[in-house]
Amino acid sequence: MILKLLAGNLTHGLLLGGVYGLATMGLSLIFGVMNVVNVGHGAFIMVGAFVALTMFTTLGISPVAAIPVALIIGMALGFFFFYTVMRRLIRAPELASLLATFAIGILLQEIAKLIFGADFWGYNWRVGKISLPITTIPMSKVYAFIGSILIALFLYFWFSKTRVGTAVRSVVEDSEGARVCGVNVGWIYALSFAIGIGLTVMSGVLLTMFIPVGINPYMGGAYTLKAFVIAVLGGLTSPYGAFFAGLIFGLIENGAYVFFAQIPGVAPFPLTVSLAFWMLFFLLLIKPTGLLGGK
Amino acid sequence: MKRTIPKYYPLIPVFAAYLIMFIIGFTMPGMWQMVALLAFYCALGQSWNIFMGMTGYVDFGYVTFIALGTYGMALGVQYFYQIEGLGIGIIFIGIFLALFLASLSAILEAAIALRLRGAYFAIACIGINEGLRYFIEGAKIWGGSEGIIFSGALTEAVGREVANQLTTFWADFAVFIIAALAAFLNVHYMRSKIGYALTAVREDEDAAKVMGINTFKYKTIAFLTSGLLGGLVGAMAWGLKLTHVFPGDVFVIHYTVECIVVVLLGGAGTLLGPVVGGLIYGLSKYWLAVILPGFQLLIFAPIIIAIIVAFPGGIIGLVKQRIKGTPLERYIV
Repeated sequence: MILKLLAGNLTHGLLLGGVYGLATMGLSLIFGVMNVVNVGHGAFIMVGAFVALTMFTTLGISPVAAIPVALIIGMALGFFFFYTVMRRLIRAPELASLLATFAIGILLQEIAKLIFGADFWGYNWRVGKISLPITTIPMSKVYAFIGSILIALFLYFWFSKTRVGTAVRSVVEDSEGARVCGVNVGWIYALSFAIGIGLTVMSGVLLTMFIPVGINPYMGGAYTLKAFVIAVLGGLTSPYGAFFAGLIFGLIENGAYVFFAQIPGVAPFPLTVSLAFWMLFFLLLIKPTGLLGGK
Repeated sequence: MKRTIPKYYPLIPVFAAYLIMFIIGFTMPGMWQMVALLAFYCALGQSWNIFMGMTGYVDFGYVTFIALGTYGMALGVQYFYQIEGLGIGIIFIGIFLALFLASLSAILEAAIALRLRGAYFAIACIGINEGLRYFIEGAKIWGGSEGIIFSGALTEAVGREVANQLTTFWADFAVFIIAALAAFLNVHYMRSKIGYALTAVREDEDAAKVMGINTFKYKTIAFLTSGLLGGLVGAMAWGLKLTHVFPGDVFVIHYTVECIVVVLLGGAGTLLGPVVGGLIYGLSKYWLAVILPGFQLLIFAPIIIAIIVAFPGGIIGLVKQRIKGTPLERYIV
């Protein structure tokens, strides 16, 4: 019985993990290129969730079509915040960029609250179900998983095969060296920030498949913290590392829940969340470059 | 003696500000709550600044100490109120427990997280804070997510009259004392070997290490001091004043950010900065809550961004440039 439960939960965990991975790639990309931890990360996921919600409920457009829209909105937000705020903080001490990104997150949250109110929203995209012997999976989750894998693959090829992608990797490696070689580092910063935010907003669209009634202006905080854990797990500077770490995190989170639920007298859900942070803590202690981070 | 007196000159404007605030709150009816709020922000800013201002390390999980201080006071009152003849002494048990919990977590955190730098340190601190919060909720220790409500226990221990006075006056008064203590420790560290060592750490940690400075020791001293003061603020301003504690209310990163905003507004690494920042932030928050309830954050967020981009040195940073070379210089640090 418990094995069946575990297998079912792990399946859901794997699907959710794919979206977690995508949601963290943006964070890792921005940290890798600009050395800035985006503390307002979750707010951008929230923006994506509201993009999907608005398009589905008021315009009746399927979430698949919301993905490119989310990318455009995300990149626009990214360029806007880069040129107004982040550009001036690249050389500043950590304190400045941490606080600035946090403030950007608050700003987005409050604007969302102004538009949508503080209620919880949700929608249901009915595209059928798959019945496995261990569990039943809504097709929408499978599509979200496939979507995140496709986007991650696309990013991989963009990084490794195109000139701009190579330039981004060179800036991650050594920004001074890249500048000497004629890379327009300022533009790469702007582009990477915009792509990072765009990815995050897209992942917000996909995440709505997993939270039928959980869309709220303040939903982002929990995902910011999860993204930190995943990013550290994946080596903090590597977007692909982040993707695989997301899969691992999804599996651990959903698997551990089954075990914690067997212990009498505890609340399994908060314990699962706390496990994630203790994991982060010990990981930082043992191997700050991340499990998948090499070096 | 001659050399030690000027060292504490910068405390004069700080203490004067606290005294004026206290007198305003004490004599003018209806002002006490606002003054208490201002003192709370000044104390928090001052305490946070001791570690961050001198080392440049951003402790994003600072609220852990405040929360544990609150829990210390709650546990002290809740578990010891039935002991006969303790009377007012129960508060001191609470303070002791607050200090104990705060120092325990500060030492553990220092041993592990202080070996990390920059972004890794900030993330680790957030991780500890959230991990602790969800562990308390999940394992259902200390009342779990239902928290501890100890107003009944406090009344039973010291009597209704005294309990009332404690929550409405002495808790806020203690925050003033903590704010003054934090200011004193700040200037004491700044003008001693610890301060010089920590400045070296802030400028270039590796170089400081090579020069033979035991960076870990000095960082731990400042971290512990900062954490203990945070625990005291929590025990008084949240624990004794509100007489309840819920994990979802106290382990909130948002309060760390308030500390950061207070310090940054006034000027990081300065003595007077947190006081100026605390006054401005507290006053504007108080008035915005009256004029535009619910919109404080919407207004604050762009202001924070503007300050970071335009005046990274804060108000005191600007003032310091202005008064360089004048006799005022030694009062403003």
